[in-house]
Amino acid sequence: MNFKDQWRFVRSNMKRSKSRIFMTVLATAMGVTFLIVLASVGFGLHSTLIADILQDRSVTQMQISGIENDDGYAPITDEEIAELEKIDGMNAVTRQQRLRQTPRFSIDDYNGSTETVVTHFPSELKAGMELAEGDLPEKSYEVVVGPHFIENIFPKDLPADAEIYDKEGMLNEDYKYDESLVGKEIEMVVEQNVDNEIKEHTITLTITGIVEPPAKNWLQDQQVYISEEVLADVEAFTETSRGAVISEDQPTSGEEVEGYDNVYGYADSLEEIQAIMDDLTEKDYMVYSAASELESLNSVFTIAKAGLIFIGTIAILIASIGIFNTMTMAVTERSSDIGIMKAIGAHPKKIKQIFLLESSYIGLLGAVIGTVVAFVISILLNIGLPRIIESAFGQELPEGFQFSSIPPSLILISVVICLIVTIISGLKPAKRATEIDVLKAMRREM
Amino acid sequence: MIEAKDINHTFLLGKKQNETALQVLTNISFSVAKGDILAITGKSGSGKSALLNIIAGFMKPTSGSVWVKEKNVTNFSEGEFADFRLDNIGFIFQNFQLIPSMTAYENIELPLVLKGLPEKERKERTEQTLEKVGLSNYHQHYPSELSGGQQQRVSIARTLVIEPPIILADEPTGSLDSETEQEVLDLITGLNKDLGITFLMITHDEEVARIASKKIHIHDGEIVKEEVSA
Ligand SMILES: Nc1ncnc2c1ncn2[C@@H]1O[C@H](COP(=O)(O)OP(=O)(O)OP(=O)(O)O)[C@@H](O)[C@H]1O
Ligand SMILES: [Mg+2]
Repeated sequence: MNFKDQWRFVRSNMKRSKSRIFMTVLATAMGVTFLIVLASVGFGLHSTLIADILQDRSVTQMQISGIENDDGYAPITDEEIAELEKIDGMNAVTRQQRLRQTPRFSIDDYNGSTETVVTHFPSELKAGMELAEGDLPEKSYEVVVGPHFIENIFPKDLPADAEIYDKEGMLNEDYKYDESLVGKEIEMVVEQNVDNEIKEHTITLTITGIVEPPAKNWLQDQQVYISEEVLADVEAFTETSRGAVISEDQPTSGEEVEGYDNVYGYADSLEEIQAIMDDLTEKDYMVYSAASELESLNSVFTIAKAGLIFIGTIAILIASIGIFNTMTMAVTERSSDIGIMKAIGAHPKKIKQIFLLESSYIGLLGAVIGTVVAFVISILLNIGLPRIIESAFGQELPEGFQFSSIPPSLILISVVICLIVTIISGLKPAKRATEIDVLKAMRREM
Repeated sequence: MIEAKDINHTFLLGKKQNETALQVLTNISFSVAKGDILAITGKSGSGKSALLNIIAGFMKPTSGSVWVKEKNVTNFSEGEFADFRLDNIGFIFQNFQLIPSMTAYENIELPLVLKGLPEKERKERTEQTLEKVGLSNYHQHYPSELSGGQQQRVSIARTLVIEPPIILADEPTGSLDSETEQEVLDLITGLNKDLGITFLMITHDEEVARIASKKIHIHDGEIVKEEVSA
């Protein structure tokens, strides 16, 4: 007896008790929907939190903020950078020195002030920095600028009441510098307080390239990336470390600083993060990685998800009582048919297969319908819930907030659980079908 | 073809099946040669059906053995017996035992479906058999839409469709009037002559037993008379 014929039997059997089968499928589907929607909240919140923690950082990134020593902590210097770069699994170590004042930059008739850093381009490139336009600087007085630098310079003769930004916070096109920055000469004006008098110093630079915007579109990068030589030039003028401005209320601002400001390590892969982190902590580095924070978050959520799936499974177990009932009734109703088939020569195994096929089919139908409904409910939840929360509590949820998410793994888990449960609940009735006594079954018919 | 050796059967009656023992068959031994029609006669309650059910494998004898086609089938498992029946033994029941939810055509096709034959061959053989029993126009009729004689012919057709070497029949004409009874008996003798099918048939009717080549008379579970007709 081939599968097609068994299938035919199942179909005609099911047709005979349509409403009963429908109710059973419905109960199973409801169980599956409940399981998926319940667990999807765990999955949704988890991915929202992960996205929140990672922000724009790459998962392989580690922030190295210093090294612990006897008098507290010391910044990272070239010596440590060399050590860090040698660590197994470390892909790149980026480091920046931040200028301790915000210079004014002017280009043609435009000007604006912005942060300025010295960075080590080879390691930045290794860590994934890309240029949107132009090339890296080759000479000392060449610079690259961040992608949002252009939005931070305005016409010099801007009227006081000019509306620089439109309603959406975008720079008004009329005031925007509308030529390519690459190849342009730019003047950097730094200042210093000498005997209560502000002195200015102008350095002429050439822009050779523009950095690729960060993946998260709300992150701004308007920095100017200068070379060590330009920094030396600034320091020579200000006579302070990193060009700090001396003022009366901050007399210590001129103190010597050493080391790098922003040091980030990048692991080759996520798997290596933990080993590197352990190694660095042992060497007294002060490190932070979103990935290792994610680890504890992940384990908490794994437990939570397992718990939700377990609770959801109970719904399917309840539905399985329905399947058990339906199948038991089906076997009882058809016992004389089964007896006749056995008398003619139907192997008990075939009879069992037919009934198992029927209960699996009910389970599969329930799983498919349940999954589809769960998707719909999940979408509605994600659309509706933030609105309800906003109107009820007046609180706006962060952008990209996902309340419910159904990854393929959840569907797989749910369908497998549903099929296992339905097959198990169909086993007993199917076995009963094989045990039907031919003589008793045929006698009943008389 | 069929051999019963020293069959005894006892039913255990009552709760927990240990109250009383009822001996329904005692030392039954007989044999049926290929191409024979054996009629088992006897009063109601003499144990005829019990004997047939043991030979068919629907129940196990308390002692003794059954041999079919030189094979000891006594200790076959249910599955083994099912497969064996599917290939070798056909049945004609007093009350037809058709599946009510299937049409005449589907009932007849059922053994072929169980055998897993390809659809084309099934169709051919089912239609041929329907014709053989004179029911070509009743493909789509459900058992409830057929007369008793027609139902019995469907039942016989279902047996014939696999061309079994042996057919067991328990009161095949028991629920038919004398005219239809004659039709069915003619069909049986025809099959016996044309296809050489061996029959083992139960009846309490001497008229019916007359078509047999060999007769066994049972009384209170024992063979009291055995005769071979000329
Ligand atoms: N399942 C059973 N359990 C207990 N006793 C049974 C069972 N089946 C049959 N009997 C008994 O066995 C005896 C023989 O029954 P059997 O059905 O073989 O008679 P029979 O000769 O076929 O009668 P009939 O001509 O009326 O069909 C009877 O006394 C009956 O009560
Ligand atoms: Mg009987």
